[in-house]
Amino acid sequence: MSLSIALAAILVIAAAAGWAAFSRARSLRSKDRLHSLPVYHAAFVALWAAVPALFLLALWAPVQNQLVESVVLSSPQAGALPDSAMQRDVILQEAREIASGQREAGFNPESADLAPVYAATSARYSMAGGMAAILVALLGAFWSLRRVGVEFRARNAVERWLMAVLLGASLIAILTTLGILLSLLFESLRFFSMVSPAEFLFGTQWSPQTAIRADQAGSSGAFGSIPLFWGTIFIGAIIAMIVAIPLGLMSAIFLTQYAPSAMRAWMKPMLEILAGVPTVVYGYFAALTVAPLVRDLGLSLGIASASSESALAAGLVMGIMIIPFVSSMSDDSIAAVPQAMRDGSLALGATKSETIRKVVLPAALPGVVGGILLAVSRAIGETMIVVMAAGLAANMTLNPFASVTTVTTQIVQLLTGDQEFESAKTLAAFALGLVLFLITLVLNLIALTVVRRYREAYE
Amino acid sequence: MNRAAASRWTDGSMESRVRKRYAAERRFRLAGLIAVALSVAFLAFLLVTMAWKGLGGFTQVEARVAIDFPRSDLILDPAALRGPQAQETVASAGLEGVLEQSATAAYGPAAEDLFGAGSVEALGDQLIADPALLNSRAEIWLPVSSRVEVAAKGEGSPEAERLVAAMQARGGVRRAIDWGFLKNADATDPTAVGIWGALKGSFLTILVTMALAFPIGVLAAIYLEEFAPRNRWTDAIEVSINNLAAVPSIIFGLLGLAVFLNFMHLPRSAPLVGGLTLALMTMPVIVIAGRNAIKSVPPSIRDAALGVGASKMQVVFHHVLPLALPGILTGTIIGMARALGETAPLLMIGMRAFIANPPEGITQPATVLPVQIFLWSDEVDRAFVEKTSAAIIVLLVFMLLMNGLAIYLRNRFEQRW
Repeated sequence: MSLSIALAAILVIAAAAGWAAFSRARSLRSKDRLHSLPVYHAAFVALWAAVPALFLLALWAPVQNQLVESVVLSSPQAGALPDSAMQRDVILQEAREIASGQREAGFNPESADLAPVYAATSARYSMAGGMAAILVALLGAFWSLRRVGVEFRARNAVERWLMAVLLGASLIAILTTLGILLSLLFESLRFFSMVSPAEFLFGTQWSPQTAIRADQAGSSGAFGSIPLFWGTIFIGAIIAMIVAIPLGLMSAIFLTQYAPSAMRAWMKPMLEILAGVPTVVYGYFAALTVAPLVRDLGLSLGIASASSESALAAGLVMGIMIIPFVSSMSDDSIAAVPQAMRDGSLALGATKSETIRKVVLPAALPGVVGGILLAVSRAIGETMIVVMAAGLAANMTLNPFASVTTVTTQIVQLLTGDQEFESAKTLAAFALGLVLFLITLVLNLIALTVVRRYREAYE
Repeated sequence: MNRAAASRWTDGSMESRVRKRYAAERRFRLAGLIAVALSVAFLAFLLVTMAWKGLGGFTQVEARVAIDFPRSDLILDPAALRGPQAQETVASAGLEGVLEQSATAAYGPAAEDLFGAGSVEALGDQLIADPALLNSRAEIWLPVSSRVEVAAKGEGSPEAERLVAAMQARGGVRRAIDWGFLKNADATDPTAVGIWGALKGSFLTILVTMALAFPIGVLAAIYLEEFAPRNRWTDAIEVSINNLAAVPSIIFGLLGLAVFLNFMHLPRSAPLVGGLTLALMTMPVIVIAGRNAIKSVPPSIRDAALGVGASKMQVVFHHVLPLALPGILTGTIIGMARALGETAPLLMIGMRAFIANPPEGITQPATVLPVQIFLWSDEVDRAFVEKTSAAIIVLLVFMLLMNGLAIYLRNRFEQRW
């Protein structure tokens, strides 16, 4: 019996028990006035039948895998296994897949011997776990069915269940944040046991290729992340913002203050479309169309080092991508400035542009700055554009026609292709991710606080 | 100029200053207009470039070739083509040689590699559809190899272009709609590739994302907006949701890699893992949209329901939630559209493998449309440029449909209280 059969059995038990409770409550209702509707009785019973059993099943599944593995490893057939942990894992994986019928035969002959052991042990354990879960489901069903009665407050009980579900759903956000932090920290700590944090944070050499043979040139690998962060800032926070801030801000001003409402009704969805275009499309556009143009421009300006993977191409396209974001954030904060301030300025004889520049913008500034910080945080975390259009050479240069690389490009580079886990090269991606996460976290927190404070000020 | 002089209307200084101020006003207004026009022009440029490059990807170049099946050295039993093993029979029949012979016979030795792997596959499909072809000399239109295809579209090598010109003179080349592009999965030969495999992978992934992110997001929004007490826990939840909505997507990919693959040992490259990762990413977006929608339901509705004796739960689930649903759905669709276009986190969990068969379930290896675009954009063969742009058109159509649906829902059902 596999666990999925137990799962189905539990659901059937829950449905049947719920139906029994429903009919019992309905028959009670014909004689007496119930506290709760029959459907609440049914829900109460079904919940008690299903939830504890499912919980048990969910806890059992990983435990079972561990138990089966240890039994298989101590079986006589496992004596032939190689000592290397990695090879052993591969063979175990194959045996598991053969046992569950996912594949016909493994690449390693050992897995064929192990498969029957695997199948037998996991059948035994899932039988035990499944039976226990079904027993819990039956116990829950009988216990709760006995409580169905005229006086029983089933609705309140169901609402307590619901409340727990609501609370659980909202805790997932915290769990995700913790999950990100812990998984990044855990892998980064392993990285920092190989490479010193000082070298990682302050080093200026980045060449993560660790050698296959020990005598190979450059076998040590260098993990100084400064050039990556410079590239990220150069593309995301400098070039992209030079494009996005003026265009986004001026678009927002024009659309909120000057444009006739018909134009506004058309332009806002247009900008939303610009925001909805997937980043891989921007990346392809940058690599295919913008990068050659930028290189030709650089060559015609007499810059011999103009690269077809220039920082300028990636930054320009990223700026275009950010425009709608800056625009909608500024739009919100400009709209939040009280009309009385605008009227006061106009009444003193200021022209519209003077009102905007001297009254509305200073009043909206915190919101605009918050929006720009969020835009920067999005730009430095943006991946596809830089993966497709920026280069891989870790240069520290101010020349926008040269190629630079970014943190996200390197993460993708390190984690795709041939992965050997445990190597500093792979773990470096997590360390880069941790730093990136912390930077964007700080930027987001500052921006969100600024925006919220400012909104409160005018409400 | 002293202050008194500045505000005197008689000597014209005031007028010139007013003129200057009005000129500044016009300049400012023009700058705004230019900004909007530039943003829209970028969008138009992007769409036009993609459309121009991509529309050709939905077509393929076909060449006419006469194959004399009875006289060729092909040994194929028509009866075997009707059986269940037809695909294997055709694949092992050595159609390549026949095609090469027929092509050189018709168009000279330069046409030796007129046909590629995609052409062989297409011929096999035609034979399975009509085994009677084997009994006669047949004139067949077949897609050409990618080298000739690029030449026919004007960007190939000189020899290939000469071949195409010679064939055109004899009416041996035509353009046809490439139905295979919508029906096939990935392939190594650009003339045989299709997006169906990637589309199916995207669909399964989004299904998983939707099934997880929508209920959890809505329930979390209800809790935070209607029930949460104001305390440090609630603040922590709120901060982490707002922050998660702005965390770079690649970080979610790292989370998925570390937790779902390395810790929980879920299958690599599977829509299940992709969906889980994207669900964590989309959930905060749905929570924020849901909270705004719930907030905009006026308190009088809650008071009225409470007044006739509904419990707090009944107020929320019977009255507030149905009224807030259009707003929540709008936010959900926008979140789903974002998840549909997301690439980076899926690269992290290994959805970048070459997968030649559409996935059958959520635990099988799959790729998704944006990742497919990324993979094709890396290919060296020029013929992939068209296919990539065509795939981008398909992706953009889906995004437009979803965003359009969201805007329609917002305009149709949004209530102003």
